[in-house]
Amino acid sequence: MKSRVKIPQMILIIGLLLLCILMLMPFAWIFSTSLRLPKESFRLPPSFFPTSFHFENYIAVFHAFPFAKVIFNSLKIAVTVVIANLFITTMAGYAFARIPFKGRDVVFMIILAGMMIPSQAKLIPTYIVMSKMGLVGTHMSLILPSIISPLNIFFVRQYMLTIPDSYEEAAYIDGAGRFRIYLRIFLPMSKSVIIMTSLLTFLASWNDFLNPLIFLSKYDRMTLPLGLKVLSGAMGTGSVSVILAGVMLSIIIPTVLYVFGQKYILQSVVMSGLKS
Amino acid sequence: MKKKKMHDNISGYLFLAPALISFFLFIGLPVGLSAVLSFFKYNLINPAQFVGLDNIRHMFSDKGLLVAFGNTFKFLLILCPIHCGLGLILAFLVYKATRFQFFFRTVIYFPSIVTTASVAIAWGYIFSTDTGVINYFVRLFGGSNIPWLTDRTMVYVTIALFSFWKFIGTTFLYYFIGLQNIPNVYYEAASIDGASTVKTFFHITLPLLSPTIFFVLITNIVSVFQIFDEPYLLTNGGPGSSTKTIAFEIYQTAFQEMNIGYGATISFVLFLIILAITVIQYIGQNKWVVYDYE
Repeated sequence: MKSRVKIPQMILIIGLLLLCILMLMPFAWIFSTSLRLPKESFRLPPSFFPTSFHFENYIAVFHAFPFAKVIFNSLKIAVTVVIANLFITTMAGYAFARIPFKGRDVVFMIILAGMMIPSQAKLIPTYIVMSKMGLVGTHMSLILPSIISPLNIFFVRQYMLTIPDSYEEAAYIDGAGRFRIYLRIFLPMSKSVIIMTSLLTFLASWNDFLNPLIFLSKYDRMTLPLGLKVLSGAMGTGSVSVILAGVMLSIIIPTVLYVFGQKYILQSVVMSGLKS
Repeated sequence: MKKKKMHDNISGYLFLAPALISFFLFIGLPVGLSAVLSFFKYNLINPAQFVGLDNIRHMFSDKGLLVAFGNTFKFLLILCPIHCGLGLILAFLVYKATRFQFFFRTVIYFPSIVTTASVAIAWGYIFSTDTGVINYFVRLFGGSNIPWLTDRTMVYVTIALFSFWKFIGTTFLYYFIGLQNIPNVYYEAASIDGASTVKTFFHITLPLLSPTIFFVLITNIVSVFQIFDEPYLLTNGGPGSSTKTIAFEIYQTAFQEMNIGYGATISFVLFLIILAITVIQYIGQNKWVVYDYE
């Protein structure tokens, strides 16, 4: 009986291991090819382990394009969005979770409805709003629309609802005002949900392609994904390994965040299940 | 007491002010504006010109748009079963594995968080006909070159493969968490009754997982309706216009042809379709989904 259970289990595990290897192979190919001589990028057979070590490709990509500037732009935009979003989100989340003001439920429903609006539907009018504000072509045109996130507000509110009343009451007795309670008690106690929403917001901004494509046109203003696309279009097939070096550089940050933040991504999945 | 209430009202809205202002400017106003724009001819340079129902009438005779709608439906028919069906099977398999669960979960989800544009560029090289990695293996096993990016039918397989690799982790993770939330007692009862794995899957797992399945299905349909990155980056809508989607059409109409009014009309229709799907979700949820574990 026991061995009958074990054989399918072994097949299952070997099958899943094979699938995982297949899923990692593109990354292995990107990495090994990024270290090849540019003119040998396409030499067959393809390699999945580095066969040569031309780290100069990683330097060449900075000369082929204002690459350092582009990385800096992406970082600047993502970090600004995360910080602005954090304050707006936590203040709103705190109000919805803790202050019994008039019309709270209606306002909350309206904000939640904002979650259902597809980004495609907002694209054109946002472009017009930005062009009226004279911001098309600037990083502000990417930052401003991202500072509001109904989903993040929902997450923070759900989390803050679970913080026991007693903390607040003690602070009230000490004569603390709402803002101090928010700043000194609720912000520190919501650390895990804040890390979670910040992580999601950062990744969304870092990985965004469509908005930069529409709003940015100057090389030195571009973000990393858009810059890479333009670079790959301009450089032709003679120097694929240099482009792949750029691809490698662009996925380092998401990878590091994933390794250290996996727990928070899981948490976000668990919490979005609550929404329905 | 009354003073406290007044105070709560003021501080409530003060805390909300930044959120409400940005919500109005970047969510509320755009949606309203896109409805209004549907009745105008506008190219950003000349003043907007009221054209009544012209944009909407034009939609019905616009062959390119019809093609884009058709292509988007093709993507729905191909990608939703992949993400919603294979994602579930994969989650069930990993859930059943007694070893390396953490490793499997980590690897399968990993492509979902990396930058789509960057890896799509790399996949473009991987799929290339003469020099690509995949065709190298095809030739190695005696096949002839497959036109991954240049054949009108094959491109759908190509995008489906890429989409599986890139996004299967998202639906997989929802299902996986959903499976973990099913109380063990159900499985224990089933195993005492001597039910097979397949039987357990259909009679216990599926019904208890139905809220997750429904949620995943709806969010997936909504996101495939807006598909843009994959066709833009991998095939640029081609060959011909065989992978131009609704979102692609909106992008071209509004930002390349500068026909803002008509672009807004298409995007407003897209918004209405997605709204309808969401409404169906709310109605359907109560009808088909088993929420009660008892």
